[in-house]
Amino acid sequence: MPQQVAPLLEVGNIAKRVQGPEGELTLLEDIDFTLSAGESLAITGPSGSGKTTLLGLLAGLDTPSQGEIRLNGSAFSSLSEDQRASHRGATCAFVFQEFHLVADMNVLENVMLPLELAGRAKPAAIAKDWLERVGLGHRIRHFPATLSGGEQQRVALARAFAVQPRLLFADEPTGSLDYANGKRVIDLLFELNQHSGAALVLVTHDPQLASRCQHHLELHEGKIMNIAFAEEKPIEESVIEKFIHQTHPS
Amino acid sequence: MSKLFRPWRDHSFQLLALALTIAAFALSAVIFLRAELEQRFSISTAEALGGDLVLASSRTPEPEQLAKIGGFNISQIIDFSTVLVHKDELLLVSARAVDSAYPLYGQIQLAKNRFANEYSQRHGPAPGHVWVADQVIDRLNINVGATLTVGNKPLKISAIIRQLPDQNAGFYSMNPRIVLNSSDLEATGVMGPGTRIRQQSMVAGNSEPIKNLGLELNKKLRPDQSLETVDDAALRSMGPLRQLSLWANLAVLLISLLCGAAIYLATSQRVRRRAKLAGLLRSFGASRYQVITRLLGWEFLAVLPAVIIGSTLGAAIIMTTMDSDSANIGTGYLSAASPLEWLTALLAPLLLWLAFALPRLSTLVRVPAIEVLRQRQQSSLLSTNIELLAALSAPVLLAGLLTDSLGELGKVLGLIAALGVLLPALLWPLIKGLDLLSTRLPLAARLAIRRLSRRPALTLPLLVSLTLAMTVLTLAGQTGSQLLNDWRTRLPSKAPNHFVLNLFERDMPAFEQWLEQHDAIAQPLYPVVRGRLSRINGVPVKEAITKEKKSGHRHLNRDLILTEASVLPASNIINSGQWHGENTLNLKQKSAAHSASHSVSVEQEIADNLGLKLGDKLEFVTSRGMLHATISSLREVDWNSFEPNFYFIFASGEFAAQDITWITSFWLPEGDGARLAELLHELPHITLLDVKTLLDKAQEIIAQASRASALLGALLMFSALLVLAAGLLGGQQQRGRDNALLRALGGKQQLIKGILWIEFLCLSGSAALGATAISLLALYPLNERLFQQGMSISVWQALPLALALFVTLCGLLASRRALQQPALSLLRSQGE
Repeated sequence: MPQQVAPLLEVGNIAKRVQGPEGELTLLEDIDFTLSAGESLAITGPSGSGKTTLLGLLAGLDTPSQGEIRLNGSAFSSLSEDQRASHRGATCAFVFQEFHLVADMNVLENVMLPLELAGRAKPAAIAKDWLERVGLGHRIRHFPATLSGGEQQRVALARAFAVQPRLLFADEPTGSLDYANGKRVIDLLFELNQHSGAALVLVTHDPQLASRCQHHLELHEGKIMNIAFAEEKPIEESVIEKFIHQTHPS
Repeated sequence: MSKLFRPWRDHSFQLLALALTIAAFALSAVIFLRAELEQRFSISTAEALGGDLVLASSRTPEPEQLAKIGGFNISQIIDFSTVLVHKDELLLVSARAVDSAYPLYGQIQLAKNRFANEYSQRHGPAPGHVWVADQVIDRLNINVGATLTVGNKPLKISAIIRQLPDQNAGFYSMNPRIVLNSSDLEATGVMGPGTRIRQQSMVAGNSEPIKNLGLELNKKLRPDQSLETVDDAALRSMGPLRQLSLWANLAVLLISLLCGAAIYLATSQRVRRRAKLAGLLRSFGASRYQVITRLLGWEFLAVLPAVIIGSTLGAAIIMTTMDSDSANIGTGYLSAASPLEWLTALLAPLLLWLAFALPRLSTLVRVPAIEVLRQRQQSSLLSTNIELLAALSAPVLLAGLLTDSLGELGKVLGLIAALGVLLPALLWPLIKGLDLLSTRLPLAARLAIRRLSRRPALTLPLLVSLTLAMTVLTLAGQTGSQLLNDWRTRLPSKAPNHFVLNLFERDMPAFEQWLEQHDAIAQPLYPVVRGRLSRINGVPVKEAITKEKKSGHRHLNRDLILTEASVLPASNIINSGQWHGENTLNLKQKSAAHSASHSVSVEQEIADNLGLKLGDKLEFVTSRGMLHATISSLREVDWNSFEPNFYFIFASGEFAAQDITWITSFWLPEGDGARLAELLHELPHITLLDVKTLLDKAQEIIAQASRASALLGALLMFSALLVLAAGLLGGQQQRGRDNALLRALGGKQQLIKGILWIEFLCLSGSAALGATAISLLALYPLNERLFQQGMSISVWQALPLALALFVTLCGLLASRRALQQPALSLLRSQGE
């Protein structure tokens, strides 16, 4: 009998409003959904629909004006900045459109950074391992300026997965890449994600990319225009066991 | 028009404009201050001399000489000695016959009667009148309004002379002075063959024509003639004005350096923000010239208002800070600065900006456009250093143009600039080494050191700038406070305001009683013997001295005031040799061996003029015979100190067989002039000189010098703080991005604060070490140029360490925004 897994991410009727030059501006409204471990969600919509705003709220980089976000059972959105940072470091990872590698750290140091922040043991060894997995094991001493866009994004992927996140946020991960590199990166993203068992929240304007995710949430003018959550599929026990083993080695 | 204001929307341009405003303010203030000081200096010197150029001789100048000076503003005076007879009293006086143009500079201080207040006069006595010194009134028992016969000519005493503008405090003539109109001279009948006179042709004019006149006259001087100009005058050689002038010149050099550093940092920030535009322009096909002019052209116009405002403020601060003495200055402050200096004040900050902007801007056209667009341009350590050196040479050259002291002060500036660049370059390997070893350090330290060591283009200029700023603050504080201290010591509040001469041994009890009675404070008493130098190393003076030296020196044919002392006077410094009193442990035990050494200490200038050196044997003729002595030391004398000063000081005991009188100076509290009359009545043979006017003038100079020095110090500190601000504000954007990423990756506020603390502590601590080293090394050349007593290690050397903490706190304050930059910003648009 497949086990029912408790939701990893619970978004309860959140809204985001800001003060604009002409009064209050509603960026998001009536956003409500859940996401469980291992699932993938694509957030799409035209420019200005609130995708980035929603991503920021889900990742705890911002707080909603209304509603609540629960991450791993904890009321995430009501935590302090430091608590959210701490929680984020332990649970989440990011892949940005602009890569956001630290220019004056080499590739190895970039991947080690979140591990060091989380206080993980043997960060260098873990980082090297992940860099091998993304095919950049031979360039660990190189600096980002000497890498191509695709290579930089692969380093970003290694950095994200090295911390074994439970929830991975990807903000237009192929937005700065050409088609070939973008495809390669996205294939790698999904492959690594499948192996890690993390939930994936992917912001994209690419319908093809969105179709690779299990669930699809389309925004328009700050509201959910379309939401398509696939039927809950039982997750194979082997995946769950593997996930548990990886996150809680004992 | 909107193009002019467009750059102002950008924070980095605002910072650059602020740097330029302050640079313009500081440079123009210093330039105008220097011009003001130079003018006051020259006027004070010209006043003391009697003109910008003085041709002195024992008879009338040659017709061709008179023709040469005829084109200038001139005054002819004749000094001579004569004996006044009034009733039964005789008095030897120093008389001066002046023409209607006298004095060319300054004013004569007169009084209506013996104890009246002074008033100023800009011309000499009218024909038929004579002005006399107080002592004439006292000695001849005569009053203002009475008739005094000078030679054969009766003249009416119409005023009492308190001070002539060109009457210095020396003791060339201790006879009381009278002044009469030159039209009365012939009628006096005192001018005859063999009458010893000193004729002076005083000339006033602008510096360049005067200089040319001096060169012309110098070619054909008679043996009895001497020429002196304001450049030669002793007033320049020492004193607060010289020190202040040097300090002002050094301030110009340092302010140029600091403002240049601030402009460099602000321009770097601006260039980083314009990099994308530069890359885009070049991708559109713009030539390098087009990129530079487009980026630089409108900005040049946009910064002009900032420069004009700064320059105007600088001029205004000088006008309001420095007192005006319209009698001396003439038309006001602004006339002190020449049109060239006005132009220099306006152009100097622009030159600095170009010097620092161009090397930085050139990176945008040197680096391939694609690299610029990809933000891959990374300056190598070598290119950063070369850029810095090239940029730093600009203020040095500029300062050389602005001041005439590059030769004199170049050593100090060169040391500071060179060390300011070299020390950070030496510290750099240490920082890199620390990076390599940082794996063992806590995370915050590792990340902080990485930030510093991996960004030479940001770190090095900031390190150099902080080092220079801290060095300047330390030196400004120490030098400024030492100057003020020096001046206060030189002229304490109770500096002697009277001199008394011709005291005899028997007069001491009465004199001391009088001093005590009137709360006067006296300086040490010096025994005095009048003597004439007759032989040098056994050779008669007329043969021993060369014709050129003899003609220029008035001390050869007159009695000199000789003294003896065992303690070196406070206003004297031994330049070479050994003071004859140093080894005397007990002043009362004057050993026969010591007296037999017959030593004399000679003032340096007279020694140079007469070609005297250590070991020379001198012979003096006195009323009691001969005095022999060997030169044991050469001294430098502060002739501006209000104490008795002497060209020749013999070892104690040398005057045992001589006719001695005593001399001293004393401070008398403000009060009734009758006290002096009382002293003169008690001791009628003494000579009493009232130097209160000179003292007041000196105190006024020192007060103004102190104000000017404080202003210079403030300008230096202001410039140094500007550098600190530019350095700390620059790089905040990068820090903000770094901090946002750390937060996105799970870093806590505490970690980020810790990184900032360590980053700034490392930076400011390194700068403090460098600044301490440089300020210690700079002590020697500064001491050599500015101070006679020496500048020693003081508590000021600890200032850099205190500044390190201050800079760290300021850095954290400046980084508040960067600290609070939300991680969400990473999801927003990149860059600006």
